[in-house]
Amino acid sequence: MTSSLLWTPLLFGLIGLALPKRLTGWWATAGTAVTLGLAIALLAGFDSGAAGLQDTVDAEWIPGLGVDYSLGIDGLNVFLLLLTAVLWMAGTAFAAFREQERPHLFFLMLLLGETATLGAFLAQDLLLFVLFFDLMLVPFYFLFGVWGSDRPDGTTASAATLKMIVYTLIGSLLMLVAAIATAIIAADGGQISFSIAELSQHPIAEGSQRWIFWFFAAAFLVKMPAFLLHGWMPDAYRAAPLPALAIFSGVLAKVGAYGFLRVVLPLFPDATVEFQEVVLVIALASILYGSVMAFTQTNVRLIAGYSSVAQLGFITAGIFALSADGADGAVLQMVNHGLVVAPLFVIVAILAERSGTEDLREMGGMAMKAPVLAALFLIVTLATLAMPGSANFIGEFYILNGLFDSKIVFAIVAISGVAMSAYYALRLYQRTMHNRRPDGLESREIGLRDRIVLVPLVLCIVGLALYPQLILKRIDASVQQSVTAATGAPEPKSTVASTPPSNGGNTAISIAVPNFAGDTP
Amino acid sequence: MSCTSWAWLVLLFPLLGSIVIGLGFRALPAKTAGIIGTAAIGLAFACGVATLLCLLGEDPEARHHASSLWDYANAAGLDIKLGIFVDPLSVFMVLVVTGVSTLIHLYSFGYMQSDEGYRRFFSYLNFFVFSMLLLVLAGNFVLLIVGWAFVGFASYALISFWYRRGTATGAGMKAFVINVVGDIGLVLAAFLIFRELGSFDYETVFTKAPQVFSVNEWTITAICLLLLVGAFAKSAQLPLHTWLPDAMEGPTPVSALIHAATMVTAGVYLIARTHVLFDLAPTAADIAAFTGLATLLVAGTIALVMTDLKRAIAYSTMSQIGYMVVGVSIGAYSAGMFHLMTHAFFKALLFMVAGSIIAAMANRQNIDEMSGFGKAMRFTSAMLLIGGLALAAFPLTSGFFSKDEILAFAEARGGFYVIFTWLGYVGALLTAIYTFRLVFRILPGKACKEAQELIDTGHVVHAEPENPATGEVEDTDVGFPGSEHHIAEQSWPMKVAMGVLGFLALVGGLVQVPGVDDVIGKFLEPTFADSPLSHIHPTVGAEWEGLGIGGVISIVGIGIAYFLYVARPETPAMLIQRLRPAYTLFHNKWYFDELIDFLIVRPILGVGRFANRTFERLVVDGLVTGTAGTVRGAGGIVRLVQSGFVRSYALLLIAGFAGLALYFLIQSS
Amino acid sequence: MAIEWYVVLSSLIFAVGAMGILTRRSPIVILLCLELMLNAGNLALIAFSRMVGNQEGQVFALVVMVVAACEVVIGLGIIVAIFRRKLPLDVDELRELQG
Repeated sequence: MTSSLLWTPLLFGLIGLALPKRLTGWWATAGTAVTLGLAIALLAGFDSGAAGLQDTVDAEWIPGLGVDYSLGIDGLNVFLLLLTAVLWMAGTAFAAFREQERPHLFFLMLLLGETATLGAFLAQDLLLFVLFFDLMLVPFYFLFGVWGSDRPDGTTASAATLKMIVYTLIGSLLMLVAAIATAIIAADGGQISFSIAELSQHPIAEGSQRWIFWFFAAAFLVKMPAFLLHGWMPDAYRAAPLPALAIFSGVLAKVGAYGFLRVVLPLFPDATVEFQEVVLVIALASILYGSVMAFTQTNVRLIAGYSSVAQLGFITAGIFALSADGADGAVLQMVNHGLVVAPLFVIVAILAERSGTEDLREMGGMAMKAPVLAALFLIVTLATLAMPGSANFIGEFYILNGLFDSKIVFAIVAISGVAMSAYYALRLYQRTMHNRRPDGLESREIGLRDRIVLVPLVLCIVGLALYPQLILKRIDASVQQSVTAATGAPEPKSTVASTPPSNGGNTAISIAVPNFAGDTP
Repeated sequence: MSCTSWAWLVLLFPLLGSIVIGLGFRALPAKTAGIIGTAAIGLAFACGVATLLCLLGEDPEARHHASSLWDYANAAGLDIKLGIFVDPLSVFMVLVVTGVSTLIHLYSFGYMQSDEGYRRFFSYLNFFVFSMLLLVLAGNFVLLIVGWAFVGFASYALISFWYRRGTATGAGMKAFVINVVGDIGLVLAAFLIFRELGSFDYETVFTKAPQVFSVNEWTITAICLLLLVGAFAKSAQLPLHTWLPDAMEGPTPVSALIHAATMVTAGVYLIARTHVLFDLAPTAADIAAFTGLATLLVAGTIALVMTDLKRAIAYSTMSQIGYMVVGVSIGAYSAGMFHLMTHAFFKALLFMVAGSIIAAMANRQNIDEMSGFGKAMRFTSAMLLIGGLALAAFPLTSGFFSKDEILAFAEARGGFYVIFTWLGYVGALLTAIYTFRLVFRILPGKACKEAQELIDTGHVVHAEPENPATGEVEDTDVGFPGSEHHIAEQSWPMKVAMGVLGFLALVGGLVQVPGVDDVIGKFLEPTFADSPLSHIHPTVGAEWEGLGIGGVISIVGIGIAYFLYVARPETPAMLIQRLRPAYTLFHNKWYFDELIDFLIVRPILGVGRFANRTFERLVVDGLVTGTAGTVRGAGGIVRLVQSGFVRSYALLLIAGFAGLALYFLIQSS
Repeated sequence: MAIEWYVVLSSLIFAVGAMGILTRRSPIVILLCLELMLNAGNLALIAFSRMVGNQEGQVFALVVMVVAACEVVIGLGIIVAIFRRKLPLDVDELRELQG
C-alpha cells in the first residue's frame, strides 16, 4: 500500500509518454487522482492513537552500506502525504486544462516530482530521505527552467533556476555529508545503519551533533526558505510556471520543516536544545522580514512568496518551541499553509491572465463581474492571514502558545507578524479585486475549469476551519514523541513562569504542561 | 428544549441566512434576499426571547449553562471546544443585538433597495450578526476570539462595501488592521490565562482565577491590560479609535448596525464578561476607567466641530462608549449594560435619521449645506428630535436614566471615583451641545435647495454621485449610490424601523427607574453576584439627586446650543476665531491619525523599502553573487586545463598515474 | 626466468607507447602507440598470472584484447570520418573540445 502510493505517480508518468499529446494531461491527472485515492485510503486506515510507524515497508536495499528501502507512516507525515496528493492533483488538473509545450515531458516531470516528494515524506531511512530530497529538485529544475518565463529586465528563467539549484544543491550536499557522517559515527566501527529509528535510539556524541545539526539545518532552511537563505526565492518565483510554483510553494517548502521534525529533533537532541534560540532567531527574522517585504512588494507572486517566508518562519518557530503544542501547531500549519498558498498561486495565475500584468499597481476592481472568484479569493486571503476561525489560526495559536510557554519574548515578537500579515494579505486582495478598475483590464468570472481546481481546495480550507481536530487528533501522539525525543525530560518551565506566590500557582503550572508529566526520567 | 438549544438556534439562523443569500445570489430575487435576511435575524430574536424565558423559569442561582457541539481543537493539553455559555449577561446581549439588528435589517430593506449589491449586503449583514452573536455566546476565550475576529472581518466587508471607492477600501483596511491589533491583545491574554489557569473555558477560568491570583498581582494585571487592548480596539477607545470615524464610509445602515448598536459595544461586553478578572486587578480596571473617561471627553470635543453628519455621530458614539467603559470598569456593571442598551436604541435611530437625510441630500453629508429639513421631512425630523433628546439625556428619555446610573454609582463608590461623576457631567454637557448643534443646524431655518425640492415636488434630488470625502465622481458599477435614494417618508420599512426605535429611545429607560423598578439590574444580578463591588448601590435619594443634576445639565446644554446656532448664529464663527488653537486641535481630531502614521506606519514602510532596495541587493543577493563568483573563478582555473590539445590531456593522465604510482611506492616501502 | 624481466620489458614497451602518444601528432600513430601500451599491460598481466599460478590474469588479458579490438575499430572509423570531411589529420589542429 505504502509502496504503491509512492510509485503510482511515476508509473503513470512513464505510461503517459506512450499516449498521444492531448491525452497526457488527463492521464497525468488521473494518475494524481489515483494517488490521492491511495492517500485517503491510508488515512482511513490510520490509527490515530498510535505514536509509532504504521503501514511500514522494510526491505534491504544496499545491505553492505546499511541502506534500507524503508517507508512508513505516522502522525508526522500522514497529512503531509495527503496534502501532497491533493495539491498535485489540483496543480496537474490546472495544467491539464491549459495548453502546455512539450506535454509529455512536462507531465512526466510533474509526476516524477510527486513520487520524489512522497518519497521524502515516507522515507524512514536517512539515506533514502536524502535521496528523495535531492530527487525532488530534478523535475523542478526542468519545470522552472524549461517552462518558466523570462523577465523583461533580462533575468532568464534558466538563470533564475540555476540560482535556485546552486542554493539548494549546496544545502543538499551538506546534508548528504551529514547523513553519512551520522551513520558512520553512530556505527562506531560496527555495522552501519541508516535507519532513522535505530539512529535515534543512540544519539551521537554532542560534539559531532553540533556541526551535523547545522549541515542538516542548512538544507532545510534553504528549502523553506528562511531569512538570509531566501536569495533564490524572488527570481525563481518570478520565473516559475504557475501550476508548478503552486505545488512547489505548497509542498516542497514543507519538506524542510518536516525534516526538522523527522530527522533533526530525534537524531540530534542535544544540538537541538543547544541551538534552539539561534534557530528561533532565524525563524523570527524570517517572520518579520517576510512580512515587511510582503508589505512593500508590488509583484503579486512575490507577495505570496514572501508571505510564505513569514509563514514558514512561524512553522520553524513552532518546531523549535520544543513543546508538544508548538510542534502540533507547526504540523497543522504545514498542511494549512500548503492548502492556502496553492490556491493563492492559482488565483494569481488567473488574475495575471485577466490583467496581463503581475504588478499590483496596474490591477484593481476585478470583483465586479467575478463574484465567485472574489469570494474564493477572499476565503483564501482570510485563511492566509490566519483569521481566527480558520484552521490557520488554530495552527498559529498552538505555535504561539507553545512558544509563549517556553520563550515568551520570542512569542511576543512573533505575534507582531500576525498583525502585518493582516495588512499584506488584505492589501493583495484589495488592490486586485477592489478599488478602481484600470482601463484595459478585464473583469470576468472564472470558468468551470478553474472552478474545478479552486473550489475543492477552498472547501478543504473551510472544512478544516470547522474541524481542525481532524488533524490534531491524528498527529498529536507522533509529534509528542518527536519533541520529547529532543527535550527528553520536561523543560524547566518554572524558569519562565513567574514564581507564583501561592500554592494555587503551582497547581496551575502542573496543569499547563500535562503532556510532560509522564516523561520525567 | 433546553436553554442552550435555543441559544444554538440563535446562532444558526443568521449563519443560515448568510449562507443561503451568499450561495443563492444569482438565483434569489433581490426582495427575497432581503426578506430572508430580515427573517433570519427576526427568528434569531425570537429564539433569544425563548432563551430568556427559559432562563427566567429557573432558579436565579442556576441561570448559567455551558454546552458544546464538538472538540474544536484538543491536543497537547489545550482543550478547545466549540462551546457556548448562556447566562443572563449573554442573553441580555443577544436580545439587544438581535432586536436592534432586526430593525436595522428592516431599515436596510428599504434604504438599500436600489443598490446593485443588495444581496451581497444582506449576506454580509447576516454574517455580521452571526459573528456578533458568536462573540457574545462564546463559551471560551478561543471562540470569543473567533467571534471577535469575525466581527472585525464583517465590519471590514461592510465598510468597504462600495469597494470601488478608494476611501472606503482604505477605511475598511484601517478598521481591519486595528481590529487585528485588538485580536492580538486577546490572543496574548488567552495565552497568559492558559499558562496560569490551564484552561480557556469561562467557567473554569472564572472559578479558578480568585484562587490562583492574589489581588493586583502582575500576571492578572497583565492579562487584564491585554484584554483591554482588545476591548479598546473594538470599542474605539483611545488610542485605537481612529478607524471608527473613517468607517463611516460604509452604507448608513452599516454605521447604525456596527458602529452604534452592536460591534463597538463588544469591548464593554468583554469587560463585563471578564469582570471576575478585573475585580482581581483593580489597577487595570482603573486604567480602563480613565481611558474611557479620556475618550468620552476627547470624542466629545471633536464631535463639537465635525461638519460631516455621520462622523459627528460617530464621535458621539465613541464618547458614549466611554461612559459604558467607565461604568463597567468601576463596577457599575448593570448600569453600563443598561446604557449599552439605551444607547443602541437612540444611536441606531440617529444613524437611521442621518441615512434618511443623506439620501435626501443626494449623498452629501456636510451639515453646513443642510438646513430647513424640519418642514421637508416631518417624520425624519421628529425622529431626529427624539434621538437627540435621548442622546442629550433629556429628562425622562432613555439616555437620561441610563447615563446617570453610571455617574451615581461612581459617586457612591467614593474615593477618587468621584472624578468620574464630575467629569462625566462635563461630558454630558458636551453631549447636549453637540447633539443639538446637529439638530439646530439641520431642522430649522430656510430650506436648502434639496429640502426645498422635497417640499415643492415631493421628489428626492438626484445628483451626480460624488464621494463626499474626496469629491471624485463615483464608479457606479458597484451600485454606488444606487439609482435612486430612499427616505423614511417614502419607504414603510424604514419608517417602521425608525418608529419602533424612536419609541424605545423615548421610553426604554423606564425599565430601570430608581426607586420604582430595577428590571435589568435584577436580571443581570446572578452574573455579577460574585463581584466584590456588587454590594455598592447608590441610595435612591442620591440617584434622584444625580438625575436632577443630569436633567439640568442637559437642558442647559440644549440651551447653549440654541443660543449658539439659532439665536446668535454668528457666535460659533467668532468663538472659532477666539479659540483658534483649541479649534485646530479638535478639528484635526487631536492628531491621532498623524501620530499613528508617524510612529507605526512610516517606520514599517521605511524598513520595507530599505529591505527591498538595499538589503535584498547587498546582503541576500551578495551571498549568491559571492557564491556564484567563487564557482565561476574555480571554473576559470579548470578551464585553462581544457586546452583541447589531446596530447596535453594524455600528459596529464600519465603524469597523474605516475604520481599515484610514486605515492604507492613510497607508501609501501 | 624471474618475473623482473617481464615487468621490465612490459614497462619499456609501455614507456615507448606513452612517449609516442605524447610526441606524435598523427592520430594513426597515436592509435598504434595506444595498442603498444595496452599490450604492455597484457604482457604484465600474463606474466603475473604465471607467477601466481592461476588463470585470472589471462582472463583479463583476453578482455583487454577485446577492448583493444573495439578501440581500433572505433578509432580507425573516426580517423576515416575525419579524413572524409577533409580535416587535417593532426591532433593539435582538432581542438573542438576546448572548454
